[in-house]
Amino acid sequence: MSDTKIKSFSFKELAIELLPEGASFEACLTCGLCSSGCPASGLENMDPRKFIRMAMLGMDEELSQTPWVWMCTQCKRCQHVCPMNIDISQLVFHARGNWPKELKPSGIVRSCELTRSNRSTSAMGIPPDDFVFVVNDILDEVREEQPQFKDLCAPIDKKGATFFVNQNSREPMSEPEEMVPLWKIFHLVGADWTYASKGWAAENFCMFSGDEEAWHDVISQRVDAVNELGSKIWLNTECGHSYYTMWNAVNRFNIKANFEISTLISYYALWIREGKLPVNSDWNTENIKFTVQDPCQIVRKAYGESIAEDLRFVTKTLVGEDNFIDMQPNRSANYCCGGGGGFLQAGMTKQRRIYGRRKFDQIAATEARYVLTPCHNCHSQMEDIGEHYGGNYNVVHFWTLICLSLGILGEKERTYLGPELLSLGL
Amino acid sequence: MTQDIRCIETDLAVIGSGLAGVAASIFAHNRHIKTAQTGNTGALAYTTGYLDLLGNLRDNEDPLVSNPWEAIRKLQEQDSEHPYSRIMEQDIRSAFKEFISFISVCGIDYSMPEEMNLDALTPAGTLKKTMSMPATMRAGVEAFTRKAPCVIIDFKGLKGFSGKQIVANLKTRWPQLRCERITFPDLDQGEVYPEVLARALEVPAHRSQLAAMVKAVAGDAKFIGMPAILGIHRPDLVMRSLQELIGIPLFEIPTMPPSVPGIRLRELVEQAFPEKGITVIPQQKVLSIDWSDKRAQLHLNDSYGLLTIDSRAVILATGRFISGGLEACMDNIMEPLIGIPVTQPKSREQWYRQRYLDKQGHDIHRAGIEVDASYRPLGPDGKPMYENLFAAGIIIAHQDWIRERCGAGIAISTAFKAVESAAQFLSQQ
Repeated sequence: MSDTKIKSFSFKELAIELLPEGASFEACLTCGLCSSGCPASGLENMDPRKFIRMAMLGMDEELSQTPWVWMCTQCKRCQHVCPMNIDISQLVFHARGNWPKELKPSGIVRSCELTRSNRSTSAMGIPPDDFVFVVNDILDEVREEQPQFKDLCAPIDKKGATFFVNQNSREPMSEPEEMVPLWKIFHLVGADWTYASKGWAAENFCMFSGDEEAWHDVISQRVDAVNELGSKIWLNTECGHSYYTMWNAVNRFNIKANFEISTLISYYALWIREGKLPVNSDWNTENIKFTVQDPCQIVRKAYGESIAEDLRFVTKTLVGEDNFIDMQPNRSANYCCGGGGGFLQAGMTKQRRIYGRRKFDQIAATEARYVLTPCHNCHSQMEDIGEHYGGNYNVVHFWTLICLSLGILGEKERTYLGPELLSLGL
Repeated sequence: MTQDIRCIETDLAVIGSGLAGVAASIFAHNRHIKTAQTGNTGALAYTTGYLDLLGNLRDNEDPLVSNPWEAIRKLQEQDSEHPYSRIMEQDIRSAFKEFISFISVCGIDYSMPEEMNLDALTPAGTLKKTMSMPATMRAGVEAFTRKAPCVIIDFKGLKGFSGKQIVANLKTRWPQLRCERITFPDLDQGEVYPEVLARALEVPAHRSQLAAMVKAVAGDAKFIGMPAILGIHRPDLVMRSLQELIGIPLFEIPTMPPSVPGIRLRELVEQAFPEKGITVIPQQKVLSIDWSDKRAQLHLNDSYGLLTIDSRAVILATGRFISGGLEACMDNIMEPLIGIPVTQPKSREQWYRQRYLDKQGHDIHRAGIEVDASYRPLGPDGKPMYENLFAAGIIIAHQDWIRERCGAGIAISTAFKAVESAAQFLSQQ
C-alpha cells in the first residue's frame, strides 16, 4: 500500500453547484425512497440517503474516503424515484475523480489507460491492425463455411457510409464469431455501414474512473473518426455504457459531432416495422419464456420509455407475445444489474454479487429461461450472478436471437444459447 | 450532434402523476381519449394504500366519520365551496368504482366502496377511517372487529414498523394481540427496507422460507399481521401463496414511507399505462406551456433532452407544495406553472394558527385554485383562463385533505369531473 492519501473536498459546495436552477437539497424530505430502491444500500454501511445527508452535514472526510463510491454504479435510479429529483450520482462521479489514481480500483484505471494507449480506443488494447485482421479473417471464414453468405461484407474505413458501427472489444478479442450475426443482419436489411480502423471501440472506463479529461479525450478521438469518414449516424451496437459515454460526453464537453448518435435497438425495431427484418416467433414451438433487461445507460439515463417500448416490441416479435415476461420493476424504474459503473472491473466481487442479488431475484421471479439484453456489462453480470446464486437461465444478445429466428445463425455463433436451442435451425 | 426535439401529439395531456393525475389518465383512457401523462409522482409513493373518501368532519361533535356519504351530505350543507359540494354523490361513487376496477384488473385488488368507512390499522397502532383498502390489508379489519387471537410480525432491521408499538396501543381493546420479531431470510445485515422484502417475496423460494419462520411463532393465532411487504406487482398472488403456506389468514399494515403500497401504485402505472397505449413520461416536470391556436405545447426536458407534448386539452393535477403544484413564497402562495391565481389567506400571518393541532386546521391548507363548473381554472377576471385547461385534485381550493381525510376522494372524484368536461370539450372540436 502506498502512502498516498485521498484528499477531502466539500461535497456540499459541489452539490449546490451541480443543482439545476430552482432545485434545492433542502427539498430532500429524507424519505428514503432512494435508499429503499438502491441495490447498493447497505454496502460499506452506506446508502444514497446517508450519502446526501452526510454531504449536507459537511462530513467530507468520510465521504471522500468511502469505497462505496465504487459500488454505486451511478445508475441514477435514486434520482428517478426521488420525488424531488435529486441527483446523487454526480456527487459519486466527482468523488471517484477525487481519488488518487494509485488508490482507484486498478481494473478500471488499467482499462482507461489501455483505451488511451491505442488509436482503436480499445479498453482491451487491441491495435487497429489487429482489429482489421480479425474482422477480415472471420469474414473469410464465414464466406467459405456458409455459402449463403459468400457475399457478406464487413467494410472498414468506408467513406460516407450511413452508419459508423462501433464494436465492443470483447468480440474481436475473445469471441470474434459473435460479430457475425450482426454483419448478417446488416447484410439482410441492406444497411450502408462501415467499421473504422481508428476509434472503432465502444467501451469507456475513463468515465467510470471519474477522470473527465481522459473521458473527453477518448470521445474526441471517436468523434473525429466518425467526422473523418463522414457517416450520418454513429450506431451503437449492443452495449449500454458505450452509448451513454459517447452521447453524454458530446453534450457535456460540447464536442462538434456532425452526426446522429443512435443505438441498434431503435434500428432493429425500425427494420422489423419496415419489413426489412422479417423475424417472427414461429421457431419458439416449445413456448420458451424470455425476459428483457433494460440497460440503465440507454433507458433510464438516456432515451427513457421510447427505447424501452422498442425493446419490448423487438422481443415480443422474436419470441411471441405470450412468451415474454417483464421483470418487475422495469423500463426506467428497472434495477441496475450491478455490472455497470465499472463494478465488473473493480475487483470487488463479493460486493458486486450482493448488489446483483436484487437482479437475480427479479429474474427468478419471472421464471424465464432466457434473459435478453443489449448490453455487454449487463450480460456478463447476469451470467455471473446466475452461476453464483444457482439460477436456471441463459443470457443472450439480440443479434443471436434475430439470426436464430431467421434461420441464419451459424454453428459457431451459439455460445450463449442453452441446450434446447443449440441445434435449432442448423 | 444532430438530435431532433421530440414531439408527442395527443388529445389530452395530464400533468401530474399522483392520484389525481393517474385517475384522470384512467378515466380518459376508458373514454377512448388519446392521453399522455407526465409530471412527477409527488407524494404518491408515500401513500398507505388506503383510499379515503371522508374520515373527519371538523364542525361535527364527533369529528370521526363512520358514514362518509351521510357526512358528505352534511358537508355540502355546511360548506358550499368545498369541492365535494360541487359533485353529485352518484359521480363520486362512479368515480371510485371505475378507478378501483381499473387498478384491480391491473394487479392490485381493492375492496369496493361500501356505505360505511372501514377501521383501518396504522403502523402507530391507531385506527383511521377509510373507504377502500387493498385486498392484502382487508383481513386486518376483520381481525380487529373480532378481536381474534393475532400475531403482528416485525423484522429485525426494519425501521418504522414496530410490533411492540402496535400491540402497546391496541392491547386494551384487543387483549389477544401479541407480536414476534423475526429475521427475514438471507437479510440479516443492517437496515432493511419494506421494498426490498416485498421484492424478495415475489420469488417463491423466499416465500417458503418466510412461511416456515412465521409458522414457528404463530402459536394459536387466527390471524397474522405483517408490515406491507407482500410483493410489489403481484401482491394478491404473493399473499395467497404465503397464506396457503402458513395456513392462517394474513393481512398487511401500512408502514412509514418509503412504503410498499405507494411503490405498487406507481409501478402499476408505469407498467400498465404503456401497455394500454397511454403515453407516460415518468418523473418529468413540465417547464412551461405555450397556448396557441386551441392547442397547448408543453415543454419538458427529460434525460434525453428537449421534448414537447402537443395537446388539444390539458388537465392540471400537480398537487400542492411537496409536488410543486403550489409554491409558498415569502409573502404569498402561487401556482408556478401557468400563473393561475391562488385563493389564500390575506397575509402570511394568517397561514397558520397558534396551535399545531388546532381543530379548526390551518388556513394555508385550504388555499388553492378556483375552478368553474367544468373544472376550468379561473383567471384574475374570474373567467376560465383557457377553454382547454382543466384541473383536478388537491390543488383545488376550499378543502383540507389532510385533516378531513379526503385526499383520495378529492383526487378521484375531481379527476372524474375534469375528464368528463375535457371529453365534452374534445368532442365539440
